[in-house]
Amino acid sequence: MSRLPNAGSAVPRPPRTWVFTMIDLLVTLLLWGYFTVGFVILFSPFYALASIPVFDRTRAFQWFNHLFYRGFFGLCRLTMPRQNWRIDPAIASIRSSVVVCNHASYIDPLLLISLFARHTTIVKNRLFSIPIFGRMLTLSGYLPSDFQGPLAGRMIERLDRMPAFLDTGANLFVFPEGTRSRNRTLGTFNPGAFKIARLCRAPLAVVRIENSDRLFTPGRFLFNTCQANTISVRLLTQMTPDYDSAQFSIKELIDHVRALLETAAEPDPAQEGATTRPDAG
Amino acid sequence: MTRVEIQANILKVFSDRFEIDHPGMDEDLREAYEFDSIDAIELLREIELVLGSALTLNEKKAAMDIRTINQIVDYVEALAKARAAD
Repeated sequence: MSRLPNAGSAVPRPPRTWVFTMIDLLVTLLLWGYFTVGFVILFSPFYALASIPVFDRTRAFQWFNHLFYRGFFGLCRLTMPRQNWRIDPAIASIRSSVVVCNHASYIDPLLLISLFARHTTIVKNRLFSIPIFGRMLTLSGYLPSDFQGPLAGRMIERLDRMPAFLDTGANLFVFPEGTRSRNRTLGTFNPGAFKIARLCRAPLAVVRIENSDRLFTPGRFLFNTCQANTISVRLLTQMTPDYDSAQFSIKELIDHVRALLETAAEPDPAQEGATTRPDAG
Repeated sequence: MTRVEIQANILKVFSDRFEIDHPGMDEDLREAYEFDSIDAIELLREIELVLGSALTLNEKKAAMDIRTINQIVDYVEALAKARAAD
């Protein structure tokens, strides 16, 4: 009895891409479910309660946002075992600072909210006009990115209160690139975060997030749940510039922070031939 | 406070605080020097020091559309006169 050619030998299996796409789809839908139904069922009653003016609404909303996104990343850890999350323990020690961070994915701000219970951030103006979500941003005390026109009064009030807000131990986190990087390199820095730090005489904390774009890639709807990946958040340095010195320069501060973030960049795993799917290679 | 004094004060603030030396009096600060809303807030704090009194929210909001040094000087001059009249 003759044997079939190649029978018993290692035949390369076709890539099971459809399986991984289905897993990506299911996990993405689950996470969207958390964002929508989960929010309504688990969190909206607390937000509604916090809306009552007798409470410190801003503080309560920030706290609930923090819990909501902790839940989100808890779900991520549960449903994406191939994602390794490496959070620098020093992040927890950041207080009363303006945190500047690189920006590669939509999940970056969510990640920082999940790490800082007392926080605020700068949000694009157009997001404030989205029904419900815009109201949430307002009640959370987040700042509009530009404050010409109707948002001027709100921004002035919030910046006036910012030094006192930071004094309570809260942090302002900002992505000075303003938008997500599409090629893993740092984009042009807006000086706003550094100017606010000077305005408030606040310390700066420089944080680098790595590989969040490999999990949730700009321009892609699905989370890449099946590829092996390590998402890290590292505190690179904390500093308090001498803002009142005659030698102080915003431009030099920006160049310094930029150099720190560039130097700390880890090599792109995709460029190093790292495993992208469980059966790859 | 005379207009000349106000102008000198403002130009000093621009040089010391914002690293903007010798700006044109009618130059659009936003376009020429990326002088943005946060700078404007910081400038308002300096103006409060120059005037020796705090600005109201409405006074601050009125400053948000100012674009040139001449407009800033007009703004401070009007505030100084209003306070002197009170």
